[in-house]
Amino acid sequence: MSCSPDAIKDLLFGALEAAEASRVKEHMQQCAGCREEFDRLQFTQTALHALRDEEPPRRIAFVSDRVFEPRWWQRLWHSGPQLGFASAALLAAAITIHAFVRPAPEVAAVPDPAAIEARIMAEVSRRIEPAVRAAVAEAEARQKEKADEILAAARREFQAQREADRLMLSTLAEEFTLLQKRYNVLQLASADLGVLR
Amino acid sequence: MIFREAEDRDLIAKARRGGVEAYNLLVSRWEKRIFNYLLRLVGDREDALDLTQEVFLKAYQNLGKLDDAGRFAPWLFRIAHNEAFSLLRKRRPETDVLPDENHAQRAFPIELSLAVESALARLSEEQREAVILKIYQGFKFEEIAEVLSCPVSTVKSRLYTALDLLKDALAPIHSRGVQ
Repeated sequence: MSCSPDAIKDLLFGALEAAEASRVKEHMQQCAGCREEFDRLQFTQTALHALRDEEPPRRIAFVSDRVFEPRWWQRLWHSGPQLGFASAALLAAAITIHAFVRPAPEVAAVPDPAAIEARIMAEVSRRIEPAVRAAVAEAEARQKEKADEILAAARREFQAQREADRLMLSTLAEEFTLLQKRYNVLQLASADLGVLR
Repeated sequence: MIFREAEDRDLIAKARRGGVEAYNLLVSRWEKRIFNYLLRLVGDREDALDLTQEVFLKAYQNLGKLDDAGRFAPWLFRIAHNEAFSLLRKRRPETDVLPDENHAQRAFPIELSLAVESALARLSEEQREAVILKIYQGFKFEEIAEVLSCPVSTVKSRLYTALDLLKDALAPIHSRGVQ
């Protein structure tokens, strides 16, 4: 057997089977290093016991407190005989009551799909219609406002155009009058000179 | 030990039915062990006492969940383990105050306990807990695995590494011999 520090520690703590313990002891008889290691470990273990246990500075005790006491059902749950008796009594009572009171088998109500649909539709109408009405009114108002704005802009543009046309006509009329006057003057001048004769 | 277990079973059954006095008796049988386990793990008496109180309160409230009254000790230590590590996790950002490391150089018996305390404080929390449960509380490896909720191989690994560290820490005392 070769040197094994863990086997020496196992021996120290009595964690080896008898046969294995014998083998380790035989090895130690022939190996001074392992013997010394075992001796040092034994000393360490003994030295550790130089640290004595201390008494707690105060004793710990609990007083009866309803908050921490188990409930009646917890006590019952943790007591075998009482729990068994209670279970048997409960079962007997259930059988007796069942024997006297037999409730008529209830026929499970089959839901009417049409009624369910009608209810759903009514509920949908109740919740959706006001919302739709409000949304439509809001959209209409927005449309009207937008149309009014467009109409007003068109009117403003039409007025401006009309004013511009009026000004242009007025200018043309003035120019025509001026040309007419010049033509008249030319007529008179040529008559005086006898050109047109 | 068998008698102790039998008495514990009886007290647990009475406590489950609401017997506060029975529970107080059960507490008196275990409070010293739980207190010392917590004291060595958290290293502060007031904290250890508060945690002990909390452990027994939680144990009382959850006594109904204990499936096998014969497994009361690992179950109780499991609650203590959870409480202790909950506190240690909260403390973790702070630096633990370690005892004077020169204690190991002194070979006077009166100070051996201080040297041991110092050496224990240098272990990781998991290693220290494995030492406490095995050497001070005398649990079997399987029971420790149940308390810590980990495989036996993990328990052994933590304990044996811890033992090597303790052995080295206490070597000066060993070489001089305790007076």
